Amino acid sequence: MSGIAQKLAANQKQVAISEFFEKNKHFLGFDSLSRSLITAVKEAVDNALDACEEARILPTINVQVTKIDAKKDIIELTVEDNGPGIPQKSIEKVFGQLLFGSRFHAIRQSRGQQGIGITGVVMYSQLTTGKPTHVKSKIATEATAAVVDIGLDTRKNKATKSNSGREIWEEENGEIKKHGLEVTCRMKAKYQKGRQSVWQYLRMTSIVNPHAEITFTDPEGEIHFWPRVTERLPRKVESIKPHPHGILLGQLQRMLSESKDSRMSVFLRMNFSGVSGRAAKELCAAAEIEFNLKPKSMKPEQMRALLEAFQGEKMFNGKPVKLLNPPTNCLSPIEEMLIKKGLSKTIDSRYATTMTRVPNVSLGNPYQVEVGLIFGGNMAADKPVEVLRFANRVPLMYQQGGCLLTKAIESVDWRQYGLDQPGAKGVPKGPAAILVHLASTNVQFTSEAKEALAENGEVIEEVRKAMLEMGRGLRKHLEKKKKMAKTKEKFELINDILPAIAKKSAEILARPIPNLSGSITKIMSAVISESETEWNKATKMTDVSIKIYNYTARARAYTILATWPEKSGGIIKNNAFGGRKEATGVWAWKLETLQPGENLTITFSLDGLEKGDWTETDVFYRGSQEIIGALKMDEKYLDEIRNQEKIMQELVAKSESHYTESSPNEETTQNEEEPQPEPAVKPPTGQATLFGGEL
Amino acid sequence: MAQKRMSAEDTKVAMHSVVGEMYDKIVNGEPPTMTLPVRTKTNIGFDKKLGVYKYGKKRSTRDATSLGSAKQLLRALHVIEFIEEMINSGKSSTLREMYYISESWGLGKFGSQNESNNLAEDLEIVTKCLREDFKLRPEEDGARMIGNLTLQERNRRGEWMRINARDDVGDSGYGVPYNVEKEKIELLEHDINFIMAIETGGMFDRLVENGFDEDYKCGLLHLKGQPARSTRRIIKRMSEEWDLPVVVFLDGDPWSFRIFASIAYGAIKTAHISEYLATPSATYLGITADDIMAYELPSDDLSKKDIEALNAELTDPRFADSWWQEQINMMLELGKKAEQQSLAKYGLDFVTDTYLPEKLAELGLA
Repeated sequence: MSGIAQKLAANQKQVAISEFFEKNKHFLGFDSLSRSLITAVKEAVDNALDACEEARILPTINVQVTKIDAKKDIIELTVEDNGPGIPQKSIEKVFGQLLFGSRFHAIRQSRGQQGIGITGVVMYSQLTTGKPTHVKSKIATEATAAVVDIGLDTRKNKATKSNSGREIWEEENGEIKKHGLEVTCRMKAKYQKGRQSVWQYLRMTSIVNPHAEITFTDPEGEIHFWPRVTERLPRKVESIKPHPHGILLGQLQRMLSESKDSRMSVFLRMNFSGVSGRAAKELCAAAEIEFNLKPKSMKPEQMRALLEAFQGEKMFNGKPVKLLNPPTNCLSPIEEMLIKKGLSKTIDSRYATTMTRVPNVSLGNPYQVEVGLIFGGNMAADKPVEVLRFANRVPLMYQQGGCLLTKAIESVDWRQYGLDQPGAKGVPKGPAAILVHLASTNVQFTSEAKEALAENGEVIEEVRKAMLEMGRGLRKHLEKKKKMAKTKEKFELINDILPAIAKKSAEILARPIPNLSGSITKIMSAVISESETEWNKATKMTDVSIKIYNYTARARAYTILATWPEKSGGIIKNNAFGGRKEATGVWAWKLETLQPGENLTITFSLDGLEKGDWTETDVFYRGSQEIIGALKMDEKYLDEIRNQEKIMQELVAKSESHYTESSPNEETTQNEEEPQPEPAVKPPTGQATLFGGEL
Repeated sequence: MAQKRMSAEDTKVAMHSVVGEMYDKIVNGEPPTMTLPVRTKTNIGFDKKLGVYKYGKKRSTRDATSLGSAKQLLRALHVIEFIEEMINSGKSSTLREMYYISESWGLGKFGSQNESNNLAEDLEIVTKCLREDFKLRPEEDGARMIGNLTLQERNRRGEWMRINARDDVGDSGYGVPYNVEKEKIELLEHDINFIMAIETGGMFDRLVENGFDEDYKCGLLHLKGQPARSTRRIIKRMSEEWDLPVVVFLDGDPWSFRIFASIAYGAIKTAHISEYLATPSATYLGITADDIMAYELPSDDLSKKDIEALNAELTDPRFADSWWQEQINMMLELGKKAEQQSLAKYGLDFVTDTYLPEKLAELGLA
């Protein structure tokens, strides 16, 4: 699948690794002194996050960069985590052998799809300073930590170890560290500040890993700290089998040659996702191969035919063989609420909106788009907005202009949403930051440098849709702010100023204070809504109140709708006014009559949220007379939510039927002696996703 | 000619009608209102009978449907109450003092001194009272005068003091108080042929030092820039009661044109009392646009703001006559302005020996 990876795998015994490294350092991330340091931090931190995630540990990571010799640009990097640690006998393999590590063997969303791994860092350190990498590792079941210096025999592609031993690992507070890993390496590198820096990398990492606590000590000794804002670990991702739509000939070849299955129908059903027993037979028929042919004996032209059947070019009964979509539980989105928290803790802002789209499939690869937008606060108003790009939770820091995610942002006319964008071209300007995260089992990059995502019409459209929705949210927010200021003034007028005028004029004229209700109705001549969203310390719930005043001369009837974070676990409680759920995250109450001069309050509490999760409730109305302080329900908005709901339901239904179809019961009725499906089947060679795609 | 002064009782009645308008609107279930003339140049017109510019018929209603207007109404009520208290207790205060007193008016307090000044003017307009009736004093700096004219002023002890503005004063002249009404000042006698109002202190002192008032038998008056109400009022009184011509000697720039307009025709802000403040017979002596050329005066280029002001004056009804249109257009063409004191180019005595005699001769005053 990957040319470089294959070449590497095939030739690594002949080619000196150092030579390979030297030739390919630009896409290994070691092409400049400043980037080398970022890459090293990235490899170590990604490993730490992945290890913690797998072991279900909340990560606490310390990164320290020290200048050893400023003139010669020698830097020492230490990354320490509280992960599970690595057993002593595996250390050598993890750090010394190229391409070792479980993540190369399964198709799922993982950070490690990018880069050559920590071995590259060991190699780079060795090549530039001659120093081995010092590793300290402690696993929970052992009393002491294993220490060892790992170098590389670049000729044999083998680790060299020295000074190995064991020591007691005490934490700063004097307690014995339970488990964790500390990697120290010395390399030729440069520490820089700014948009492309270790600081920025960690800051971005912290945004998309709100469950991590990251501390960074820079060469000047300054400590940067990004706290943990949620105790919730990312969902455990499942490995999935490849989907026929995303498979390429080389991969199919390898799978076939290594298959121990007795016949093609079994091979297809057991090694691919989305292929039912029926579909397996139809695929064979379309490709004109016997379904009981032994996979190992497939001829090249049969393989090509099968591939064409996969792509729907060869048909069954005049139609492409229907395949189910791959399951999407292999993806681990950050999720709206956590993106919001991550952004808010890192960047001071006034408004944040985030959105996780439902998972989708492109070319057999599940993917999911998440976006976030924050606005206001201390951000510069006259500069282009900060674009924060991520692929599988890994920050992308270079080649912004050439990236699909940037292009999707640029394709939106932001002027209609309240941001500057001269000529409706390019990245918009304004006090905002836009986050885009693409989670996928197979992220396609423009080049081996893995800093920009490759063009993909479906994905770009998905990101664009999300951007438009966020844009609408921003516009609504800005309009609402304006209206709220106006409403506040009106309330001040009728609650404070008008009574004062009445009182004072009555005093001066020595007459009784007049009744104000007529004047109030005339002054307001509107229906007004005021809403409040507040954290209630005592109940640990978020209290929402929506007050509707009828300051018109007629009785009014409305349906009032409000948003709540249903997808993020918000549960409506104490909702005395009743009503019903209108769509995901939208509740509706019917107001039969609101007499002139009357007001009414809808209150409810939201359980299942933490403080700061939900700070602003959008209030909508359906009805003829405008409500100041609420928005007229845009039915398109509801349609979009319902549409997403439908897609979600279909996905759930499909993945359920996917599993029922391959259930053991069906097997017996079909009377086929096929093995039970395994949760995941390892592709035969490990390097399939190392560089993420075809060259 | 001057507006009739109101008694304390009349003033209160007039103010109560303003309060009544608000009160009645509330009783009738309407937003309270205050009705007053539009106070811009689009709503001033020449009053043939009075010979000055007055507000026209355009009225605006300030109603309490927006927060800003509602606050204005509340402030007006507080001001009215405050004035009533002053009338009842025989006190007076400056506009600035009222601004500070408003600190205790809660929601009705003023945001700036400008607001309180404007509101006092609004009340003058709607009640047809004068600031003096309201017991409100301006902060503004009154003029100073030198010349052989005699008046009497009632001092703080209530005694009349006779003052000759040539023999009884020092070099800075007689200081005109803020109230120049009859209860405070009586014009007694004079031996002068005209009054000359001068824009800058430097020029005033030059003429005083050169003895111009005695050589040409005139009263010199220092306007101190845009003249205060009392300055314009005393010019008008002297002009009317003594039947004296008034000439105005200013810098040659668009702002001086405005100063002249406020003396002769009335200021836009005080158009409700123009007949009381303006002196329609006043003449603009200089510096004119043609003086700049004729005397080859050192000049400065017009700034962007100057040009804007001149263009605004072209459409100002007060400058509608052909002489002014010509002067304004000439200045625009010339692109230059000159100060009074630029006459010093030809020596310190040039202004008194040559320029002013020549200009006054044109008017038949020398």
